[in-house]
Amino acid sequence: MKHFFALFAFFSTALFAQDSISVATKEDVENIKGAFEGLNESYLETKTTVDALKKIKISGYVQAQYQITDGIAGTVFNGGAAPAPGGFSGGAFPNDVGSRFSVRRGRIKFNYDNDLTQYVMQFDVTQGGLAIKDMYASIKEPYLKLATFTGGIFDRPFGFEISYSSSNRETPERSRLYQTIFPGERELGAKIELAPQSGILSMFNAKVGVFNGNNNNNNENDNNKDIIGRVGFQLPFNEENLEIDGGASFYSGKVTSGSRAIWKIDNGTKTWKHDSTAANNGSSFDRSYVGVDAQLYYDLPVLGGFSLRGEYITGTQPGTAASSSYYVYAKGSGTPLYSRKFSGYYVNYVQNIGLTEQIVVKYDHYTPNTDITSSNIGLGNLTTTGDIAYTTLGVGAVHHFDGNVKLTLYYEMISNEKVNSATTNAALLPFKEDVKDNVFTVRMQYKF
Amino acid sequence: MKTTISILAVLTGLISFGFAPNSESITVKGSDTMVILAQRWAENYMSKHPEVTIQVTGGGSGTGISALINGTTDICDASRPMKQSEREKLKQRFNTLGVEIKSARDGLAVYVQESNPVKELTLQQLKEIYTGKITNWKQVGGNDVKIILYSRENNSGTYVYFKDNVLGGEDYAASAQNMPGTAAVVNAVSKDKNGIGYGGAAYGKGIRFVKIKRDADSPAYEPTKESIMSGNYPISRFLYMYTRSKPTGALKEYIDWILSSEGQAIVSTVGYFPVK
Repeated sequence: MKHFFALFAFFSTALFAQDSISVATKEDVENIKGAFEGLNESYLETKTTVDALKKIKISGYVQAQYQITDGIAGTVFNGGAAPAPGGFSGGAFPNDVGSRFSVRRGRIKFNYDNDLTQYVMQFDVTQGGLAIKDMYASIKEPYLKLATFTGGIFDRPFGFEISYSSSNRETPERSRLYQTIFPGERELGAKIELAPQSGILSMFNAKVGVFNGNNNNNNENDNNKDIIGRVGFQLPFNEENLEIDGGASFYSGKVTSGSRAIWKIDNGTKTWKHDSTAANNGSSFDRSYVGVDAQLYYDLPVLGGFSLRGEYITGTQPGTAASSSYYVYAKGSGTPLYSRKFSGYYVNYVQNIGLTEQIVVKYDHYTPNTDITSSNIGLGNLTTTGDIAYTTLGVGAVHHFDGNVKLTLYYEMISNEKVNSATTNAALLPFKEDVKDNVFTVRMQYKF
Repeated sequence: MKTTISILAVLTGLISFGFAPNSESITVKGSDTMVILAQRWAENYMSKHPEVTIQVTGGGSGTGISALINGTTDICDASRPMKQSEREKLKQRFNTLGVEIKSARDGLAVYVQESNPVKELTLQQLKEIYTGKITNWKQVGGNDVKIILYSRENNSGTYVYFKDNVLGGEDYAASAQNMPGTAAVVNAVSKDKNGIGYGGAAYGKGIRFVKIKRDADSPAYEPTKESIMSGNYPISRFLYMYTRSKPTGALKEYIDWILSSEGQAIVSTVGYFPVK
């Protein structure tokens, strides 16, 4: 009987204890469940925030460089004042300066990418100050994802070299041709881009835009709008490790003259002649180009891939007396407009060697005035330094330390055409010979 | 002229300095879906070729492709094809187009816990579940409980493939929980009776596959060898390897071996399907 009571007492206690444990466990589970749900809610809130933040992409690069030139601006050369070297190699060297350190580009880019919509803002910060490079919004149509609309400040849709980023480019600068006719590369405007996503049509793309046509980010100051477009193709031959890309581009625009004096070459006498009709002041004149570009990529066994890229552009460029660069209209400026027919091209060869090295050779030629030959320049026909043609042969090597850092060594041998030896024009005297303006650049780039 | 010659000499020296021969070491980086398969390939190959060292790491297809573009891997494993924008980056940096090698086939399985009564789904239902339009299992013939979505992180090829091919490019529902690998998805679903996840069929252990139908009138298929190889299973894909250039030397020998009957036999042991 004693045993029975003892056993009863034991089991009762055990059962009671088990019951208490069961109640405590249930409470614990409920507490943990509550805490888990709280954490899950907090996680979902955090995730929403993080997902939104992940759409913001920040990238940038800095290009710090040292340059040496063999010409010194301001010194006497061939009886005239030596021109400033480096004008197309990152900016003209000041008088009496033969070497310099500079930050060529210091870019920071913010991109909010929401798949079908994109907002981009890019600044350039250098010793020269702060400049806006890109500022645009784009929207992709959501159904076929075929068309993208962009508005703001962005690259002009012409040729290949404009859209090839300075951070990826193997040479320090774009060709003289591009720097002359598309300074700053960008413009204020709107464009539509068509890029089929699949099928045979995905090999083709087209883009066309309407722009202020007032150079880079300048405010509009006339009622002319310029139209720029390109049709491109990409032909991959994967079995052969070969791809051929290319395109044809056009620029159709008008520039308003701030002067009644409109200068053109008289082809009979090979002399600049001007038309001074009063109505010319405030009238519009052609700015039109056509161009073709091609790029070939091929993978050389063992050595690495190479690319051969080239472009040819010709057209009519309104400039000033001393320069074939962009004529910027300003009402009442009185700056005469010089209309030149120009042509230019470049050929660029890049050979990868292994994982880290690249060698590059680039040849570019720019004739600002195709109506004039070198022997015509300086013969009392009002020709200027703005009519002189140039060729540049550049050779260089690029070493990639890793995915972020690269070192570029690049030497540009720049040759001007020699003007008529009989010229007495003081500005043209140095150009009787090839002026000293070769430039050697050592550049370190960090990109993230 | 002297200056020109000196500068050219410096450039030539720099080029020679950087031109080093390839070693017998191969790095493989990329898809988490493929990481077990890649490890098995590497272990088997190294046991037969002790002179070759193969390092395999995951991280996701996007990570692998970035590594290929940055020059930090020899082979990129990817459970989705390279995007045009990624090819452009490779072209800009290396002047090559990249070489695509189809190394295996996979059915992208959809998992639920064993106790879940839902046996099959159409592609449309799957899309609506993952885009947040269907939120309760009752809407697709299950219990009256909320659907818990398990997905992958956005650097995963599986994530991108599922988004492009099942969601039609639409965004995942905000409530989808991003897991760091397919194994993590399987683990989460196996412990969550209201959960649903997706991933490689090879990882489908401890949970149940949902049969998938192209539409309401089509037959439903599980991701089996037969249904995937015949193309009947609606969510099947290739598993890829990418190299920067046409492979040569040790790299070529390794890839040739992967595509040989010996390498493809390993594909089946891991639960994927051979390409030949």
